[in-house]
Amino acid sequence: MAAHDTATVDRKGPSRPAPVQKGKSVRNAAKWAHLPMVVASLLLLFPFYWTVVMATNTNADYYATPPKVVPGTHLLENIASVLTSINFFGSMANTAIVAVSVTVLVLFFDSLAAFAFAKYDFPAKKFLFGLMLAFFMVPAQLSTVPQFITMINIGWVGTLQALIVPAAANAFGIFWMRQYISTSIPDEILDAAVMDGCGFFRQYFLVVLPVIRPGLAFLGIYTFVQAWNDYVWPLIVLINPDMLTLQVALSQLNVSRGTDYAVVMAGAVLAIIPLIVVFLAFSKQFVADSVKGAVR
Amino acid sequence: MNLSRRNLLLGSGLAALGAGALSACSTSAGGSGGSGGGSTSGLALWYWNGGLSDKVVEASKTQFPKDDIKPNKVGGDFKQKLQTTLTGGSFIPQITGVKGEDMPFFRSVADKFTDLNEFGAKDIAATQLAWKWAEAQTEDGKQLGFPIDIGPTATFYRADILEQAGLTSDPTAVAAATSTWDDFYAFGQELHGKVPASFPVPSLATVFQIIVGQLTNRFVGKDNTFTGGSDEMKQAWDTTVKAQALGINANAGQNLGPALAAGTIAMDLGAAWHALDISDAAPDTSGKWRIANNPVKPTNFGGSFLTIPSATEDKQAAFDVIKWILSTDNQGQAFTDATIFPADPAAWKLPALTGGDEFFGGQKTIDIFGPAGEKVPEQYVAASDSAVSAAYYNELTNVEANGKNPDQAWTDAVAAAKDIAQRQGVK
Amino acid sequence: MTGARRNPLRFWPQYVAVSPFFLLFAAFGLFPLAFSAWLAFHRWDGISPVTFAGFDQFRFLVADATFRKAVVNTIIIWIMATVPMLFMSLGLASMLNSVKRFRTLYQVILFLPSVTSIVAVVIFFKAIFDNQVGVVNQVLEAIGLSGVQWLNGYWTIKIVLAVIMTWQWVGYNAIIYYAGLQAISGEVYEAAKLDGAGPLRTFWSITVPLLRPVIIFTVVVSTIGGMQTFAEPQVLFGSNASINPNSGGPGQAGLTMVLYFYQQAFNNNNYGYGAAIAYGVFAIVAVFTLINWRITARAEK
Repeated sequence: MAAHDTATVDRKGPSRPAPVQKGKSVRNAAKWAHLPMVVASLLLLFPFYWTVVMATNTNADYYATPPKVVPGTHLLENIASVLTSINFFGSMANTAIVAVSVTVLVLFFDSLAAFAFAKYDFPAKKFLFGLMLAFFMVPAQLSTVPQFITMINIGWVGTLQALIVPAAANAFGIFWMRQYISTSIPDEILDAAVMDGCGFFRQYFLVVLPVIRPGLAFLGIYTFVQAWNDYVWPLIVLINPDMLTLQVALSQLNVSRGTDYAVVMAGAVLAIIPLIVVFLAFSKQFVADSVKGAVR
Repeated sequence: MNLSRRNLLLGSGLAALGAGALSACSTSAGGSGGSGGGSTSGLALWYWNGGLSDKVVEASKTQFPKDDIKPNKVGGDFKQKLQTTLTGGSFIPQITGVKGEDMPFFRSVADKFTDLNEFGAKDIAATQLAWKWAEAQTEDGKQLGFPIDIGPTATFYRADILEQAGLTSDPTAVAAATSTWDDFYAFGQELHGKVPASFPVPSLATVFQIIVGQLTNRFVGKDNTFTGGSDEMKQAWDTTVKAQALGINANAGQNLGPALAAGTIAMDLGAAWHALDISDAAPDTSGKWRIANNPVKPTNFGGSFLTIPSATEDKQAAFDVIKWILSTDNQGQAFTDATIFPADPAAWKLPALTGGDEFFGGQKTIDIFGPAGEKVPEQYVAASDSAVSAAYYNELTNVEANGKNPDQAWTDAVAAAKDIAQRQGVK
Repeated sequence: MTGARRNPLRFWPQYVAVSPFFLLFAAFGLFPLAFSAWLAFHRWDGISPVTFAGFDQFRFLVADATFRKAVVNTIIIWIMATVPMLFMSLGLASMLNSVKRFRTLYQVILFLPSVTSIVAVVIFFKAIFDNQVGVVNQVLEAIGLSGVQWLNGYWTIKIVLAVIMTWQWVGYNAIIYYAGLQAISGEVYEAAKLDGAGPLRTFWSITVPLLRPVIIFTVVVSTIGGMQTFAEPQVLFGSNASINPNSGGPGQAGLTMVLYFYQQAFNNNNYGYGAAIAYGVFAIVAVFTLINWRITARAEK
């Protein structure tokens, strides 16, 4: 464990108390590992490059033979089209509100339920967990129609809570956090907490929550990405064109008679910038937490 | 900013009255559901990008300052959005566009819309195209929609490629040489023979779409019976798949844009609005395209309407706005702004339409589309038409993309279409 | 519940803890399922009054060759996308775990595809796999091979869809695996090294078993994602929407179960049949749930 007990992950390798020769081979292997990483990175990045190429050229260049492979000079006018065609910043604010709310609620509700399922026995627990698992894989789109009718009846059609509340707790998250909690929290720690007079909720806040932060980080990213990219349900339930999320607004750029691909791509470029910022901020925390979690 | 908008929503919701059991608790019964300070409900106008001229819509705001017009370009699946909104009962627009291909469905739920005849549409009917007017009319004579535009079809072709093949490129001569489907194919074979990289048929669906429009009955008859297995349908099918057998099909259904830009498609069949698809996809070919009458007779493909949902309170005000937006002059303006081909024949005489079109080498396209628009045959389109027709288009792609035997494809298409028809409640 | 009538009160904190999910599920999961069940015995076009249809919708479903096609498509696309992707993710994760520099940069790159708008992603892949002018075919032709009609063939359409899904999620899964690897103690590896285990053996007998919960998670999530594949084929073949919307491309090779459901319900306004399809899908998904359950149960031991 001592090997991990360093401030950053990057120093993990060299601090291993391995013999000199083996250390060398590890180091060489580490260098070679850059090769597939760089190849994979290029493959993953190519579409972004292409997106930028398309966003900076005109729609006609999309159809050109041979296709344009270098960025052009039309970025600003394409962005201008995006901003005049859709309420870009409003829809981005809406998306952020939805994604952040859903993520916070899911992390709290799911980990709390997961804690109960992982570490406590209570009547009907097996039944409740089984029930949850049974509906584990019902594709969400299939209940779209009745759910829409539910939203009409409670007057939530066209509002953001129609996106937030149904997504505030989910079976995947509980399932995953239960796995995580049962492996990462020793019963002894909880027993000690009980001896100190901690009830269920104090155990959760004082003992469980600090330990499961890396687990929450995965779930957080997963939930945030799902909420940010949700497409079908917002498309149906947000019937007020003044109040859209980003994905729906972007799909509006995809017009009925012929798509202006340059403008769609410019919108896609704009839409991804805040996510990169969020992830950059998030990933440092994410990596550091993973290590902490492993150390405890 | 966002929160205050939501508060406004709640505010307008409090003032709203429930329209029925389902919508009793919904936030707003017909307001535009947004800005406006909560005092006036405003007049929400729904259309899609390119459905109306943005300039005309903008001008309507100053023309009707009291109505507080709130235009909204609704993207995505317009029909689905409108249908769920009508079901939902909230945020229903006061005026909404309805696409021609969706009109048969909305006609089947006519009580959701206003009969425009009650507000003076009857007086205008005589100035409109009878077949177009009838598209938005129910059996009992209710007029649900005011025509925005029409989609008379024609043959689009590359004059330069035809000349390269030693063929005539004069619109009248091309039309004469392609007046039947057999002639069209013969003409196309010659073209493809001389210029092997170019094809006269973009995809089988393009041909089938037009031929079906020329039949007396489509897939579902007026008495709600299945007619997709009729002799004339079989003939339409055989004529269509012949293009594949002759090897003159470009099979560019999945990539029309690049094929247009690359000159793979030398001849194309489509409605007036298809001109915009071509010029968007292949701006470099400007000046090389021409338009001629398509084989046999013109048909109509697309073309939309403005309607007033029955939830609208001040229907007369809404109708006045529609009448202004779709006035003859404004239809001409819409053609200039967004190549929206006017449904009002009077607009065809405006300078905006009678001038030559640069993209078509200065050709006066109205000389083709105008008479074509007059001659479109009236044809009954059932609400289930598009669902049933899907089976045929699926099998046509099987024939062209995967080399399926056309006779087998026909048998499978009819069988699948019958299944779909049965599910759609067709007898 | 009845057997422990006095006991439950003692466990109120646990019930409170698990209640949010079940309350939300009752309102937004169970009710829609029940309503769908009711709808499956009726005809409804979305606006007009509902009429009773008996078992008609289910009879249609059993006889519907297109639905069977959609089921087969979904499963094939899911396998083609998931299996290679998860192996690649695992490989990338161990590479990421063994490099020392640029880790954060690699992570950002791996993460980016999963947060990109699906509409933009599909338009990009449609462009590079274009039958004629696509970059993929131009490269193939440049190296002396012949181009492929990617967007026409039964298998090539599925390959394109699988490539799209792989591109979007391979890095995301790699990051999850990487985070799992971070949690594995270095001592375990040292011990393995002292026992003389090579890198491959270490990988199979230490890394994979210890990553098991994480692997199960990704398999489950990918299964759910795969069974719900919708946006990719919908956007890929949405251009000819006015004639034949959401049919899944030539040969309906890209028609997935959920896309077929959407087409029947929303394009054809056949909500009753849509509900019947929903239950058909539910039955198929239940089989996969059972499989997942078994794997999970084994992992419990």
